[in-house]
Amino acid sequence: MAKIENGRKSADSRSIRTISSSHMDDESSLGSDSEINGFTNDRHTDKYGFIGGAQQYSEESAQDVPPEVLRQREVKWLDMLSNWDKWMVKRHKKVRLRCQKGIPPSLRGRAWLYLSGGKVKREQNQGKFEELDSQAGDPKELDGIEKDLHRQFPFHEMFVSRGGHGQQDLFRVLKAYTLYRPEEGYCQAQAPIAAVLLMHMPAEDAFWGLVQICEKYLPGYYSAGLEAIQLDGEILNALTRRVSPLVYRHLEKHKMEPILYMTEWFMCAFSRTLPWASVLRVWDMFLCDGVKIIFRVGLVLLKCMLGTREKLKACQGQYETMELLRTIEPRYMQEGFLVREVLEVPVSERDIEREHHVQLKRWRKNRGELHCKSPPRMHGARAIMASEPPSRQDLRQNPTIIVESPLPPPHPTAQLMKGEKKSKKKGSMKKAPSVMEIPNPYPLAGDPHLPLREPQLPLREPQLPLREPQLPLREPQLPLREPQLPLREPQLPLRDPMPTLRDSTVQQPLVNDTPLPNTPEDSPPPHQPPLNDQPPLNDQPPLNDQSLLTVSPLQESTQSLSSIEADQDTYL
Amino acid sequence: MIMMWFCLCPLFQVLVIGDLGVGKTSIIKRYVHQTYSTNYRATIGVDFALKVLNWDSETVRLQLWDIAGQERFGNMTRVYYREAMGAFIVFDVTRPTTFEAITKWKEDLDSKLMLTNRESIATVLLANKCDQGREVLTNNGVKMDQFCKDNGFVGWFKTSAKENTNISEAANFLVKHIMATENDFLKSVVPDTISPKLNDSQPGTCSACYKS
Repeated sequence: MAKIENGRKSADSRSIRTISSSHMDDESSLGSDSEINGFTNDRHTDKYGFIGGAQQYSEESAQDVPPEVLRQREVKWLDMLSNWDKWMVKRHKKVRLRCQKGIPPSLRGRAWLYLSGGKVKREQNQGKFEELDSQAGDPKELDGIEKDLHRQFPFHEMFVSRGGHGQQDLFRVLKAYTLYRPEEGYCQAQAPIAAVLLMHMPAEDAFWGLVQICEKYLPGYYSAGLEAIQLDGEILNALTRRVSPLVYRHLEKHKMEPILYMTEWFMCAFSRTLPWASVLRVWDMFLCDGVKIIFRVGLVLLKCMLGTREKLKACQGQYETMELLRTIEPRYMQEGFLVREVLEVPVSERDIEREHHVQLKRWRKNRGELHCKSPPRMHGARAIMASEPPSRQDLRQNPTIIVESPLPPPHPTAQLMKGEKKSKKKGSMKKAPSVMEIPNPYPLAGDPHLPLREPQLPLREPQLPLREPQLPLREPQLPLREPQLPLREPQLPLRDPMPTLRDSTVQQPLVNDTPLPNTPEDSPPPHQPPLNDQPPLNDQPPLNDQSLLTVSPLQESTQSLSSIEADQDTYL
Repeated sequence: MIMMWFCLCPLFQVLVIGDLGVGKTSIIKRYVHQTYSTNYRATIGVDFALKVLNWDSETVRLQLWDIAGQERFGNMTRVYYREAMGAFIVFDVTRPTTFEAITKWKEDLDSKLMLTNRESIATVLLANKCDQGREVLTNNGVKMDQFCKDNGFVGWFKTSAKENTNISEAANFLVKHIMATENDFLKSVVPDTISPKLNDSQPGTCSACYKS
């Protein structure tokens, strides 16, 4: 517990820690110059862990979700995650809508693992990662991987230190993949994908996430001939022709072949292109709905940058066009704008499949058979789940952080009892709602932000008055809860083996199922009254067991992105 | 200072190729932005940078194409190479395998790109990371000269992006050769205004370029 508390503290004073650790490892790693767009000499670490604005962070690029809304979303996501199969089968549209609104940062890693099917893959291949991890690997591949370790998000605090934890884990994940698919080997574009995953989950999970992205979402993208990405370039071109004829004609005129501008976009799933807040939102949607999201983002960027005659007039020439597409105006990448635009693009998975068919035919005619036979592309989480049906056991939530004993909570007895009750119930996740009162150990040790958890913890009535003065403090609290925790969470078990045992099958008493601080343990118990003591909460009451039946879309429409809801499903 | 003007100056596309991690991106950063950093990103696909040079009282624009070094990206090089006028092939003096790969890169280049006069484009060999003090490979200058002759390089330079050694020298050398081949080229071929090869260097088509 104490160690976790320490971890938390260091999260709070993160900029200091970051700078000192990076200096420790590599004096020159924070050199005054940088090639990264928008880098300033300001060495502040942003709330996503990027140093000095390396991933274009600005107040405008990211939306702040009010904490109350975030708490509500967390409750909903926890409910979905504990009844994942049901939600995916019966209420998939709702899952999609929630992905579009943005997965709460505290649960993003877990949600991504579930969406991608990485969770199921991991359960069905227990011990596989360990096995691969213990093997040596092909020296030639290792050489390539090692050359790239310090070149992935070099200004993210997780990857800034040479040989640090981030880079070590990146090596393990990428090496494991080359052993898992020796015929595919290592492709440089896999490294940013793996790095994004590692920012949200431990190495084993990131490995299975990578496997799913390489094999289900973007099959063939990273294979030796890079044929699939070139084919997708042709598909993007054809879709551009349909969606923005003006842009298409301009690109044709200047002989802009798609692979000149879309290779990095698509192969890295925009992780090196967009401001980080937008990367996360795009990935939330991408892992839910598949590659069409990537196509749509590409189409939005093309259209925004080249979509009017004035813009084209100012952009005569191939180089000018490429330069324009390399330096996209921030306003077009702002998360809210981008997500709205992406949802508007009239390109469905059927359109993509149809175009795939046409382009494949053309490819065969012009260039012969494809050399790499990739498995068929899966358009999103539901298709993946259908192709690899999970058992209930596969979907069982394993704690990522197990805390030996929570510090005495304000109501120790009640909470201890609840904790025990919960850990005994581990086997039947369907009863999950009853365990929500499990104390989350993080906020208990004098955490001033504790009351933020209250909305989901009706048993804490005596503390309610504390909440009011806290609410105005929202801003300083956000950075603590949101981005820091998911970033740090996967590292905790690695850096601090003492208090944390990952995915232990042997559950200890007082296991905390929620790896993340400040998140409610689970959905609230049934019959919980709406949180009427929370004026800002205009969202629906937390989901419970009956939520599948009782939640109407209208109830949810009060959320901040409600405008999306009205039109979003039209194209999805 | 950044100036914009209607540019009448020629634009040359220059490729920078070579194995993974030999320092292609660093050379370009050094040349164009006068910076060096160990924190840079691996190039995925292709990246670009523009250098504006004063050449005999004329302004010349060099468009540097930074091409991903991993072998599998070689499958896309046909598109990347298309309109290049010159190239740097880079190797890392501390890694012999990157030297061995030079001929492979040169063959790839020559097989996919040829000037209309059947000549291959001007190509300069860069022995990078010479600051590392382990340049066994390039100690024998005569041997290197012979290697260049045998393999169709117009010349070679020991470079260091880190210490800014020989990079603008190499670029000037390449530009000189590009100019020479271009003159030959112009002599041998009647300029065709529709030709994409000439389009970019035609006056009046580009709206602006940057000069620092």
